[in-house]
Amino acid sequence: MVEQAEIRVVHQGGSNITFREPAISSDSRFLLCASGHNVKVFSTVTEECVQELRGHTDLVTGVLIRPSNHLQAYSCSADGTVRLWDFTDGILIKVKTFPPSSEGSIRLIKPSDSLQLLAVHLPQTAGQLVETSDLSAVLSDVSPNPATVAFGRALMIFYDKLSIFCCCASRFSLKENSCSGRSNTFTCVACHPTDDCVATGHEDGKIRLWRNFDQKREYTYRTLHWHHGAVRALRFTPEGSNLLSGGVESVLVQWQYQQESQQDFLPRLGAAITHIAVSPDGALFCTSHSDNKITVIQSCVKVSSIIQGLVKGEAVQTDLMVDPRSKALVLNGKPGHLQFYSLHRDRLLFNLDVVQQEFIHQEGLDQFQVVMATLDGAGAWLATVEERKQETAEAELNLKLWAFDEPSQSFVLNTTVSTPHEARITAVTFDPAARGQTSLLVSCGQDGLFKAWGLTVPSPDGGPSWSCDFVSAYHGLAPQRCCFSADGSLLAVGFQEVVTVWSPASWELLLTLSQPPGNIRDLCFSRLSCSKFLLGTTSCNQLCCWNLLTCSLEWSTSMEVSLLLADPLSDNMAAFCHQDGNTDLFVFKPSEPRPLFSQKAVCSGRVSRAVFAPREVALESCEESSRWLNRSQLYFLTPLMVNKWAKYRPISSKLTLWERGPTLTEKKTSAGETPSDMEEEEEEDSDEEMETRATRSEEAPLETDSAGPVLSRAQVRELRRVRKLDHSWFSSLLDS
Amino acid sequence: MATDGVSLSLKLPCVFSPKSRQYLAVCAQDGRLRVWNTDSKTLHQEYVPSAHLSATCTCVAWGPCRTVKEGPQRKKRKSEAAQVEEKADLLAMGTAAGTVLIYSTAKGSLHCTLDGGHSGGVNCVHWHPEDSLLYSGSDDTNIVEWDLQTGKTRSKWKADRAAVTSLCVSPDGKLLLSAGHVIKMWDLETKEVYRKFTGHSTAVTTLRFATTRPPDSNGLYFLSGAAHDRLLSVWQVREDGKDKNSVVSFTLTDEPQHVDLITSSSKEEAVRLAVVCKDGQLHLFEHFLNGPCKKPLSPSCSVQMSDTKESPMPIPLLAAALGADPRSVLLAYGNYLQPVMENAEINTAERHVCLARDLKTNLSLSMETTVSKVKTPIVNAKSKVLIPGLPGHKAPVVSAPQGTEKRKKDAGNKEMSIAERLGEIDLEASSSQKGAPKATASLQTDNYAVLLMQGLESKDANILNKVFQTRKEVEIKKTVARLPLPAVIPLVEELTTRLQGNPLVACMMVRWLKAVLVHHTSYLASLPDLVTQLGVLYHMIESRVKMFHKLTKLHGKLHLLTTQVRGLKSSLKLFFFFFFLSQHWEEEEAMQEDEGDEEDEDPDSRTEPKANGDEDMEHENESEEE
Repeated sequence: MVEQAEIRVVHQGGSNITFREPAISSDSRFLLCASGHNVKVFSTVTEECVQELRGHTDLVTGVLIRPSNHLQAYSCSADGTVRLWDFTDGILIKVKTFPPSSEGSIRLIKPSDSLQLLAVHLPQTAGQLVETSDLSAVLSDVSPNPATVAFGRALMIFYDKLSIFCCCASRFSLKENSCSGRSNTFTCVACHPTDDCVATGHEDGKIRLWRNFDQKREYTYRTLHWHHGAVRALRFTPEGSNLLSGGVESVLVQWQYQQESQQDFLPRLGAAITHIAVSPDGALFCTSHSDNKITVIQSCVKVSSIIQGLVKGEAVQTDLMVDPRSKALVLNGKPGHLQFYSLHRDRLLFNLDVVQQEFIHQEGLDQFQVVMATLDGAGAWLATVEERKQETAEAELNLKLWAFDEPSQSFVLNTTVSTPHEARITAVTFDPAARGQTSLLVSCGQDGLFKAWGLTVPSPDGGPSWSCDFVSAYHGLAPQRCCFSADGSLLAVGFQEVVTVWSPASWELLLTLSQPPGNIRDLCFSRLSCSKFLLGTTSCNQLCCWNLLTCSLEWSTSMEVSLLLADPLSDNMAAFCHQDGNTDLFVFKPSEPRPLFSQKAVCSGRVSRAVFAPREVALESCEESSRWLNRSQLYFLTPLMVNKWAKYRPISSKLTLWERGPTLTEKKTSAGETPSDMEEEEEEDSDEEMETRATRSEEAPLETDSAGPVLSRAQVRELRRVRKLDHSWFSSLLDS
Repeated sequence: MATDGVSLSLKLPCVFSPKSRQYLAVCAQDGRLRVWNTDSKTLHQEYVPSAHLSATCTCVAWGPCRTVKEGPQRKKRKSEAAQVEEKADLLAMGTAAGTVLIYSTAKGSLHCTLDGGHSGGVNCVHWHPEDSLLYSGSDDTNIVEWDLQTGKTRSKWKADRAAVTSLCVSPDGKLLLSAGHVIKMWDLETKEVYRKFTGHSTAVTTLRFATTRPPDSNGLYFLSGAAHDRLLSVWQVREDGKDKNSVVSFTLTDEPQHVDLITSSSKEEAVRLAVVCKDGQLHLFEHFLNGPCKKPLSPSCSVQMSDTKESPMPIPLLAAALGADPRSVLLAYGNYLQPVMENAEINTAERHVCLARDLKTNLSLSMETTVSKVKTPIVNAKSKVLIPGLPGHKAPVVSAPQGTEKRKKDAGNKEMSIAERLGEIDLEASSSQKGAPKATASLQTDNYAVLLMQGLESKDANILNKVFQTRKEVEIKKTVARLPLPAVIPLVEELTTRLQGNPLVACMMVRWLKAVLVHHTSYLASLPDLVTQLGVLYHMIESRVKMFHKLTKLHGKLHLLTTQVRGLKSSLKLFFFFFFLSQHWEEEEAMQEDEGDEEDEDPDSRTEPKANGDEDMEHENESEEE
């Protein structure tokens, strides 16, 4: 398929960097963490991503510094491989593949001199301990969570729900704890580096220190209790003088070993602690948090830097937006915050504190969440809807309108509307045709009303503020969607099965359209040359296009569209269709019968959030299939079933392929490693890639089969640019 | 950068990173290097050179963008490599001691120190656009070419009789401009002088290539600016070598401090230039470079910045970078220690633009975000809060949408009629004025009708407060009953505004409202525009009463609970005493026994007192309710 070769989905970022415990390099300068399919190397000083180790084809499930060579690191992945990297230069040194018997998740655990692997079958209840010398032992009932396993001096501890197992180097001695009850199940385990002492964390917030494991049933234990929620992470410092623990309270607790009554606290870390890592010299702690953040803490007193990825809340509740000022992606972030995320740099810019209430880190507490946000066309107004759900009582709702204040370069709260609707708000949208002081906001609620909010004339005691202009309902049906036409002259509101079109100028109901048999799920006016069309999707898997001039259905097809959106800069529309567990993408013009672009199986799962991000400079691609990407790029969030984590990917043209840096053909033989046994299990990918290498002069070995496709002019230009930017000398510079 | 001490102390290096303009590197007065992130507008990192006081940093240059390298050379179809963002990494800093420091911003550490090349202070550094070479010009009149792979000097030559104050490498990397006594153009292959240009009388501080065309096409232009010189000169490198004088000059308001330009690659493409002068103004130029131009060109747009105080003071601009979009300019302003960055949209159609900025809040916001990454938007008392019941929370009138036109007309009428009515009240009041004082003085009245009317008439809060403080039902009733009809509507309006306030006050107002409704319903019903007049009141009552049903339910439940608790109180006390006693025993036993047993008891012991606590809480709640 021609399109596939030219336009492809590129994973842009936003992956979970706190999926697994980060590894700190021995000089404490770098932090390695698993991030989706890659391993990212961050500088602990500058929070900057210094290096990205790419190569795994599936989720990376563990990173570890090689104990024998502190400039190398192992990473293991769910694709069944373990790779050895030189992480300062990003060079792959070794690949080890494992037979498909280990199709579950593989975890790299033992920092001993020989590489050990624990392969755990997720579906079955049998695991494998695989050593490099093909010695394997079977352990049963190991949960796939890495917090369940810890290594001490010579013993390995792991546990199941209520029992703890201890296997020493030579034998497996099984000790079962007679704990019963639900609240004291184990959550994590840590071993003292020098003593025969094992610390376990429990669901009820207690930490137990176990001693005397060698003798049968003569162990003793001691209970420490500070956490009120479950203990999620436990870690001894390298000298064993302190025990660190963390949980949902987002407080790092430091217990002094042997004097457990003395504790130090580092509170207000922002989110629940999921992992703790300690640098080998014990000076630096890193805590991973549930909001995709790694905090670097210096000697347990000072937060020195924060590495923040795309914040994953419980779910992405707001629509994706692009802030016209900062060109950042806007979505809900930390609880009660809106995050501004730089698309180009895969970096969080800041979290905007919308709710401005203290967040109490406790499970089962209902707190205000930002559920909806919308920006007007120029970025001058921001509307946020915050909601506190309570199981028994009604939801508390607030609609806040923020004005962007030029002099102070910040959003300023203009109006707070408490309980704008009696029930949940289903949609909020600004009139896109911003006309200065006459902005218009429409909100739809499940109470069957839609309300229009307008700016009032400035009162003597303050500037203009927002007030309700108009309220209407349609036969008691609940409005689900609303959408303005590009010029703001029409407002379409979808009341369950009926689409109503209103004139915002006079608030007259102009017409109703009720073709589809199902509830309206999405409504979209088309733009520019196709602005006479209104498109809608229904829950009965219909995509309908109405012509507003003839007030009739222009066409409709049957497809399960999970998301429909219009490019603000062109007349193209994108539809994500959910089919057989995969999502297909169609880009089309409503006036043309044939789609401009279609790609099957863009990703697995249902895509429910996407956005067209305008390009800063429009491209001039002349090819039919990629022309729709000239003005803007399409980003979408993929739902990844693992950890309910979502990452976003842009669809971008093939040009991204050419922006690759020099590939690592030079193979630095550093630190006495033999780079000979690189296992090449995949065939070379694309012909284009070889073309790049062939055109690059010195360092790349010329591939013989470089029969690439004929390059278009754009490609040649891009290629020239790449060559100009080829600063491979940096790598040697960094080595020196 | 200039040789004389004055401008050296004033002109501080302040450079945006190339391409994406993600960072701004500033060497401030305190000798520290600070790198600011222009996206989040926060301090990215700070570096203190070991000799930052003795060997101050005189110039800073960003290295070419580093292409982030791939891991392995194979690509999988699934794990596609992201668009590799080119990151600016290395910074070269020339110091007054004659060394050049290379600092890595990605790692946040000094990469290497290049020394042994110069005997005098370094005035300027410039990177070769492609190779790993760095050029530095110094007070010792030499230019040194550094090889960064080895960290050694590759070549060194005497460039001028005077100190070398500025350097620039051509975009194709073949030519080098140096400014000392004269401006010289060197061929980098042979290190020989290619051309000489004379014209500036003071030290040249700025040298930039303006076009990317090859030198033998008459199309290569460069730009120079000098200390104390309010002109930027453009020189053409001509094929015939007859390039004596500058071809074009741009007028400025002060000496140039920071120059950013977008080069043109063809005649049809204009050179865009943003110059920040020493007086803190920004001048934007756009010019098609095509041969000489006699007249000095004035800027197409000048930008100034001022603060938001009553008597505005100018805020100096420090640096400006042009974006791809001709209207957007990245600005840095404030002071060098804490510059504020902003991506500003500038209306280039106007010749003079003044931007008002509140420097203080800008700074405090950016400082807070540095570590926590949380930005708190401004919430001040000015913001309006709409709660249900206040006007504006609901649409003005609950009526069919068709009625909007009519409503607007009504609103117009209403204002008129109120004025008229007030006029009428006026008349009546004055007519009754004669008898009124006597009446109040002589007779012991049981109503405040006259006083109330006076209050409504004059909108005197004192009188109204006095009247509305009455708690006696009888007095309220009589007052309302004797109120003349035209005063009813003003009274209702006054009551409405007071009802919106403090709930305690509202309680008292309700009595008045009740009385009004009892006595004047017939009059109110006769009003034609009743709906609009009482709409606000109606909304408010509706929203306030909404919770009443639930509250009564809750009250009933609480009442039931409390009566039960009261009955059980004595027996409960006894129960808890025994319970705690037994638990104490069990704990002691558990210590001796196996640990598991203790766990069983634990949750129970915790839940019981909790339940007790809940009941206590409810006691309190109830008293509040009552």
